[in-house]
This record gives sequence, structure tokens and C-alpha cells, in this order.
Amino acid sequence: MALFEARGLTKRFLGVTAVDAVDLSLEAGELVSLIGPNGSGKTTLFNCVTGYLPSDAGRVFFRGRDVTGVAPHRIARLGVGRTFQLVSVFPRLSALENLLTFLQQHQEEGVLARLVRAPRVRRFEGVAVERAMMLLESVGLASRASAPAGSLSYGQRKLLAFAAALMPDPELVLLDEPAAAVNPTMINQMKDQIRALHRRGKTVLLVEHNMDVVMDISQRVIVLDHGQKIAEGPPAAVRRDPKVIEAYFGR
Amino acid sequence: MRALRFGLGGAVLVAVPWIVAAVAPGQQRYILHVLIFTALYGALALSYDLVVGHVGSLSLAHPAFFGIGAYTAALLATEAHWPFAAALPAGIAAAGLTALAVGVPMFRLTEHSFAMGTLGFALVAQIVATNWVEFTRGPLCVTGIPKPEIGPLRITTLPAFYWMGLTAVGLIGLLYHGLTTARLGRAFHAVRDNEMLASAASIHPLKYRMLAFVIGGAMAGGVGTLFASYVGVLCPTELAVSLTVNLLVMLFLGGVGSLRGVVVGAVAFTALPEILRMAPTWRMVIYGLLLLVIVIRAPDGLEGVIRRRSSAPRRPSASGA
Repeated sequence: MALFEARGLTKRFLGVTAVDAVDLSLEAGELVSLIGPNGSGKTTLFNCVTGYLPSDAGRVFFRGRDVTGVAPHRIARLGVGRTFQLVSVFPRLSALENLLTFLQQHQEEGVLARLVRAPRVRRFEGVAVERAMMLLESVGLASRASAPAGSLSYGQRKLLAFAAALMPDPELVLLDEPAAAVNPTMINQMKDQIRALHRRGKTVLLVEHNMDVVMDISQRVIVLDHGQKIAEGPPAAVRRDPKVIEAYFGR
Repeated sequence: MRALRFGLGGAVLVAVPWIVAAVAPGQQRYILHVLIFTALYGALALSYDLVVGHVGSLSLAHPAFFGIGAYTAALLATEAHWPFAAALPAGIAAAGLTALAVGVPMFRLTEHSFAMGTLGFALVAQIVATNWVEFTRGPLCVTGIPKPEIGPLRITTLPAFYWMGLTAVGLIGLLYHGLTTARLGRAFHAVRDNEMLASAASIHPLKYRMLAFVIGGAMAGGVGTLFASYVGVLCPTELAVSLTVNLLVMLFLGGVGSLRGVVVGAVAFTALPEILRMAPTWRMVIYGLLLLVIVIRAPDGLEGVIRRRSSAPRRPSASGA
């Protein structure tokens, strides 16, 4: 059974069909890229499957459970991590606090336990800080742990957002253009990070415009154009697909 | 070191009635009266800052919760002869429950609509207090509200009311601190700074907004109860929307989202009118100008100034604010 599946997913904005009956299925441990020209519906699709936008038709399943219409924080709690296209970190919180924010709800402690700093909560805080430092180390930001996230460079903030999404150890990670507007060194670093994630057995769905990144790391590529899926397959095959070439370059 | 400073500061605050008696014996009553108002205003401003400063929702309904708590407790004490120990929790609960009921529909609104919705609620609350004469006595006010009495403890003198006010600020400050730091604080701030990202961090934005709104409302109800029992008279004018303006001045003057800042703001705000007493006609003009200057010159309020002076590691100007 697929880890994640969307069936006939449709989203319309004032008569424009942004996502048009798209079927999408990810097996556990797969690294799949979603590509397509600007405005082809990639981000809308992301937002529909993570609960940020209500879809007009179709259903979404995660681990066999129907999560259509479920609120974003609940989908996140089920083990779906995501990043946003425009860099999203909490600028006033430190890098470390950004990561801690992403873990805290997963213990599901009551408000009172957190208010009185119950021993159990304190113990977990220690574990959380350790994990956060390990993740910061892995993206090369350990030395900036106490710096406000807003003071980091654009690329560093993208790495931080990526690390934050991994904090709750999600099964499925959706990355929305992790390499956009990032310098080449950072792109390589990001690529390594995604590969490492894949090696750890996580399932990754990547939206990306940078074809080098897509062709280099994906096992499978799905192409959207005008909200419809026009091609799907291994990177090399998709690259040669006439429909894909037409979508990108015109006839 | 820090504990010592806190202990010393606390001791000085507790000893204020004696210090005042020694330093300015003639002015004792007046100074204590101002200090009691300062303490109650400080407590109320903290309760308001939970909503405005920590989940970033500009609620204009705070006077309503203050008033609902005050009226509930005052009417229970005068009409049903409830003792203070029962009337105070009733005032807190009434305000908290109202916030719970009002918050659910209000938080369907966002930003400006939320401010307008809560303003509407505040206006309705004042109109009810003014016009439901059979129940609230309307403009005739609730009078003869008894002084607080909890078992052997009778709060009747000015120093006793001062200590009561101090206890209120202390307790609300403690709760405020517990809520706005560590893990809970991070959840509140995540919701305030970026709701979408907070959701991705599996934080339920509405839950934390409601939590701040209800706890803040309940606290305001408690302060309202104390206020009514101190003044002894409760009129619908206490629910005026201008109270929100005063609270906002305190918050922005002191520093939104900071415990020390809000308390400093409340002290500065209540002390200032007393200093400006010689020019009553210009008071509101001076307030207005002051607020403008603060917002333009020191957007993070006096707290920001204190922080820069104490040369603590500088926080970058909040780019996400």
C-alpha cells in the first residue's frame, strides 16, 4: 500500500482549475519530484494535500487513512513535514528555538503540565535540545544556534526551515522549492541533505525548478502542466518526453 | 545574585506603605491611592498583553471582560450577599466563560475584522451595563460594594488594598511568565509570528489564540472584581472603550510582549497623569503625542530602551513584526 496517495485531486480558483484531477502516489522510502512550468499547480497541490487549502474534489490518503479536509496541524501531527516556497522561519526566535518549536507539540503534553514545568516536560526538553543541536550540526548551522533566525542568510534560513521540518521526524517530507534563489554551494549542500534524508528511509516529495537537482536526485518525476499530470516516470524518460518538452518550451 | 535582587526588590515593594508614611506623611493617602490604581492597571495590562503581545490578536474587548467580572462579583456581593472568597472566583469565571463563548465566533475573523468584532462586543457590553437598569442599576451604579473579607483577613485600609493590588500583579505576572516562556511561550509566539508555519509545526493556532483570550479575559474579570471592591462603586463608564486605549498606551509605552515592559508602561502611564495634573485640558493631547513619539522613536517601548541601556546582547529589530 502506498504511504501517501491523492486520487482525482481538484482545486479551482474562480473558474480556473489550478489542480485538475491529479492522481499521485508515493511508496514508502521514495524520492519523487513534482515539476512543471510556473503556474502549473505544484504549490496548490502541496497546499491541498497538507490541509492548507480545501480541495474541490478528490481524496487524500496518508498511511491508508483519509486525510481529506483535515486541518494542517493535524496532518503535521500524523507525520507529514513540509517547508514553504518563500522561506519560512520564525525570524524573532533563535535557530535553536525554531527547531524546538517544531517538536514541542508532539509530546502532546497538557497545557498545565507545560505551565508548571512538570519534570517529564523538563526531561523531554533536554532530549529535544539534543536532537535540535544534532540537526543544526547536520545542516552546518550549529555555530548559529542562538542567533535569531532573521539574521541568517537566505540560504541558511532555507536550511534551517528544512531542519525544522525534520525535527518531529516525519515519515513524509514535502519540500517546496528548497533550492530556489540559493547559491550553488548551498544547492549542493541542500542536495546532500535531501539524499541523506532519503537514505534514512524517509519519503520525500520535492517541488523544484532547478532541473539539475531534480534530475540528479529523484527516483521518479511527475510533471504537471495547467493543473494536469502530463508525464510520470524516471528522470531520464521524462526529460525526453515530447509532452514535457512542449510544456516547457512550447511547440 | 538574581534571586537576591528579586528578593530585595520584592521587600521594598512590600514596605512601600511604611516608606511612604515616613517620607511623605501628609500625602500618604493620595500616594497609596495612586499606587493601588497603578497595581490594578499593571495587572490588567498584563492580562491584555497575553492577547495582544503574545498571540498577536488586537482584541478591543478587554473592558467588557473587566466589566463582566466586576459586575458579576459586585452584584453577587450586594444583592446575594456572597462573601468575597466566592464572589472573586465567580467574577473570574464569568469573564473567562464569556471570553470562551465570544472567542469562538470572533476568531473566525482575522486581523482588522477581529478588532472590529471585539470592539462591537465591548460596545454592546457597555450598552447592556448602562441600559439594563433593573439588573445593573444602569447609570445609578452599583453602590455599597463590600470591602474584601477572606476569613480573618479584612482588607479595609489603604495599605491593605495596596498589598492586595501587589499580590494581584504578582500572581498575574507569575502566570503570565509561565505562559509566555519555554514551550508554551514558543507555541504562542509561533502562532503570532507565522500562522501557516505554526500549523506546519503541528501547533493549532486557534487553540493558542483561545487560550490567551480566555485566560486574559478571566484575569481581567479578576482585576475588575478587585477594582470594584476597592472603589466600592461600579458604574457602566468603567466599561468604556477608552479603557482599551489606555491599555494600548501602556503596552506600547512599556513594550508589547514583555513582562517588565508592560509593568513599566503601567507605572509610567498612571504616574504621568498625576504629574500632568496641572494641565487637565492638555492631558489627552499629551497622551496622544507621547504615543506617537513612542511608536515612531522607540517601537519596542521603554523595554527596548532599558534593554539597549543595560547593554544586553542586542536583539535585532523585529523583522517579522
